[in-house]
Amino acid sequence: MTEVNKSVPLSKGYLIVDNKKCTGCCSCMLACSLAHEGRVSFTLSRIQILDDPFRCFPNDIEIVTCHQCEHPECYLACPFPDEAFCIDSNTGVRYINEEHCTGCGLCREACILTPSRISFNHDKNVAIKCDLCQSTPYWDGRGEKVCIQVCPVKAIKFSTTKPVGHEGYNVNLRGDGWAKLGMSTD
Amino acid sequence: MFAQNGKILRVNLTNKQISTIKTEEYKQWGGGHGIGVAIFFDITKGKNIGAFDDDNVIAIVPGLFSGTLVPAGGRTELVGIQAQSYPYEWFSRSNIGGRLGNMLKFAGFDGVILEGKADGPTWISIIEGDVELKDASHLWGLDTYTTQKVIYKELSHGKGFDNWANTKSGRQTTQKPCVLTIGPAGENRSRIASILTDTGSGFGQGGFGGVWGAKNLKAISVVGTGSIDVADAKALLNARLWAENNYGANCDRPTAHFWQECMTSHFAGHPSRFWAPFDKYRRASGCHSCHLNCRPRTSTALGNDSTCMDSMFYQNWDIRKHGRISENSGKATDLAQQFGINTFELHTMLFYLNTLYNKGILGRGKKINTDLPMDKIGEVELVEDLLHKIAYRKDIGDDLAEGLPRAAERWGRLEEDQETGLLGDMFWGYPAHYDARAEVYWGYASIMSARDVNCHDFNVLSYWMPTVDIKEGRMPLVSAEQVARWIGEIGPYYDPEMVSFSTDNIYSVHMARTTAWLLHYSLFWKQSCGLCDNAFADFINPYRPDCRGLTPEGELKFYQSVTGEELSFDDSMEIGRKILNLDKAIWTLQGRHRETEKFPKYIYTLDAQSAAYLPGRPPIYYMPTMKDGKWEYQNVIPRHISEQEFEEWKTLFYELEGWDPKTGWQTRATLEAMGLKYVADQLNHSRKLP
Repeated sequence: MTEVNKSVPLSKGYLIVDNKKCTGCCSCMLACSLAHEGRVSFTLSRIQILDDPFRCFPNDIEIVTCHQCEHPECYLACPFPDEAFCIDSNTGVRYINEEHCTGCGLCREACILTPSRISFNHDKNVAIKCDLCQSTPYWDGRGEKVCIQVCPVKAIKFSTTKPVGHEGYNVNLRGDGWAKLGMSTD
Repeated sequence: MFAQNGKILRVNLTNKQISTIKTEEYKQWGGGHGIGVAIFFDITKGKNIGAFDDDNVIAIVPGLFSGTLVPAGGRTELVGIQAQSYPYEWFSRSNIGGRLGNMLKFAGFDGVILEGKADGPTWISIIEGDVELKDASHLWGLDTYTTQKVIYKELSHGKGFDNWANTKSGRQTTQKPCVLTIGPAGENRSRIASILTDTGSGFGQGGFGGVWGAKNLKAISVVGTGSIDVADAKALLNARLWAENNYGANCDRPTAHFWQECMTSHFAGHPSRFWAPFDKYRRASGCHSCHLNCRPRTSTALGNDSTCMDSMFYQNWDIRKHGRISENSGKATDLAQQFGINTFELHTMLFYLNTLYNKGILGRGKKINTDLPMDKIGEVELVEDLLHKIAYRKDIGDDLAEGLPRAAERWGRLEEDQETGLLGDMFWGYPAHYDARAEVYWGYASIMSARDVNCHDFNVLSYWMPTVDIKEGRMPLVSAEQVARWIGEIGPYYDPEMVSFSTDNIYSVHMARTTAWLLHYSLFWKQSCGLCDNAFADFINPYRPDCRGLTPEGELKFYQSVTGEELSFDDSMEIGRKILNLDKAIWTLQGRHRETEKFPKYIYTLDAQSAAYLPGRPPIYYMPTMKDGKWEYQNVIPRHISEQEFEEWKTLFYELEGWDPKTGWQTRATLEAMGLKYVADQLNHSRKLP
């Protein structure tokens, strides 16, 4: 079993998002699934978009991304740490090695965020999560993140600085151009 | 087979039988409209049936690109006998964006075919391939928004969809069910009733909401957790990024072209200030997989996701009453969506009713007796009362629920108001859109199909760009000569004069080619593959150094990466032509003839005096023209269509399509050359071959 207090290195990269800029087009979800799985799916995406058009802006859309937590409860909950749930020694990225994942679901349950940032491939019976595009068999991204590249309004950004608190992942990426289109920047 | 699941759901509402059709059998038709019309043709025994007949078959088929990440490529087509057109209920089409196409594909189906009539209110639940017909008694009478919320609650067992939700099989999703539903207008068989999902995505034109009502079908809910396979994932991702990076708008540094915010065909469109402009605290939203994101979301949720006419239909009256576009416009939008009523019809209806009211013809105790508070036009009170009356067929709402031409007919006003143009109908009883007398190809394509064609492909180059730029004292972004040169490089006609809209060219074979190009392109690439009319075709693009758009290169890149098949652009247009021929055969079996393909009289007698969206004096409608080898943008209005010359043009169009000029019918030779011998046989059996 994993030691509860096992120290883990920080991730050297983070996805930060602007929930007020996201348009809910879900292109990021489709691209994520395509780049990682070679198939297009919402369920196979490591990034999720929650969208409710009946709600008022800005509470209608939320971009749900892995926070690459400093204390990754998902990693700590894995019965096979560093085999199934791993931390990249160079980048610190928390990722799942599907070949060793048994699909027990403990990492999903352990994620402290809602919804859980661990998705699930029901066909392969393995957990899947954001690896910051370290392994995209179906996309030669050369280090780029596919969700960032495909987002038509640039509502997702890569940061090497760890955001402060979970709220810190949601930032303002709207500038003068966005205002020129008649959209809110505050 | 890539981008498809391999099966199309077939639901017989009469005997509750659920079965599937193999998609492979219809592969040659692409997806969307092509598959829909091919199945309609095969399983509808007698084509000459009414919209509300039990035998009317409705096919709802996502485009081939739905669920694949092709930009602006996720739209879904509905075909069947429509209720809206006048005087004939032609076989027709309607189209929807939003989430439906993706969800249906991810739920394991490439389409849904609806037959028969349920014996009581029914809704259909589709969850990951499981299909259930359910009692909708508790939903009947609810508006479209409430219906969706009740179904959300039912399917989530009261938990909602803000977290991973379990489906029946234990699979999980964060995505809400996509619930297509009708409102009270559809339940009461209005010919102008829509079918809605979410707050602003709908099958608006065609009155198919009324057709669902006649079938006792309230809603279809779709939950999909599956996936779609494409031929070359890497190529698709690269094509998407190539298109987006080279041809898409830069939302952080947008160019300042007015038409990029309008609902016209151009890949570089971007979020728009025009929809729900009453709220400055807002975001843009987009249909699934779209790079344009043209829709609004507001801080009050008023007008959420509604664009174009849905957003605009009450703005004019709101401005007149309040001096600005207020929240009343947003409330009107939402009310129309909730009752499930087509706003394009409402827009023209309000002008018509107000004119009759001002003339003392309509009102309390007047010849057209109504207690509609017309003096409150511009206020929510009037529009809410009007929508309520239409939806529940109260007062003159019973007439208006039939659509304007039929209402005018009931009031004994049809002939007079069509002759003067007051009624505002332009194509098969549909309200005017882009004026057939100026933008002639739009009118021709509408008459040669079965509705307001609503395909904007040539709209930027032939209207918005030159007219706006010249009106504002600028040189148009691209010269008329350059536009013509580019059009001349695109097959299958390679004819630059397709875009010469001078009066002496609008009855020529060039304009027959323009019309055919529009129909063939739209039927294949937009209505069968699922590309959005708001983004395609892309002829002019302000983000390119030479301003040339991505058509046809982009479409072919997407097609090849998704399907793995090589397709030339000319071949793709031939598939579109084949689809048109299947549509045409159904119209012919319904009674279409050369003699019926006509505009209302006023198009032949009255000049177009203003452009639909840029009114003012003097009237301007700048279009590319060529005379004596010289290209320029010229103001083409005022002008009207010559009836005699239009008749001569029809001959050129029929000949171009390989149809018989005397009857307008298809010939056996033309059909057999396209592999449609079975269609020719059916036409022959009905004595509809020349």
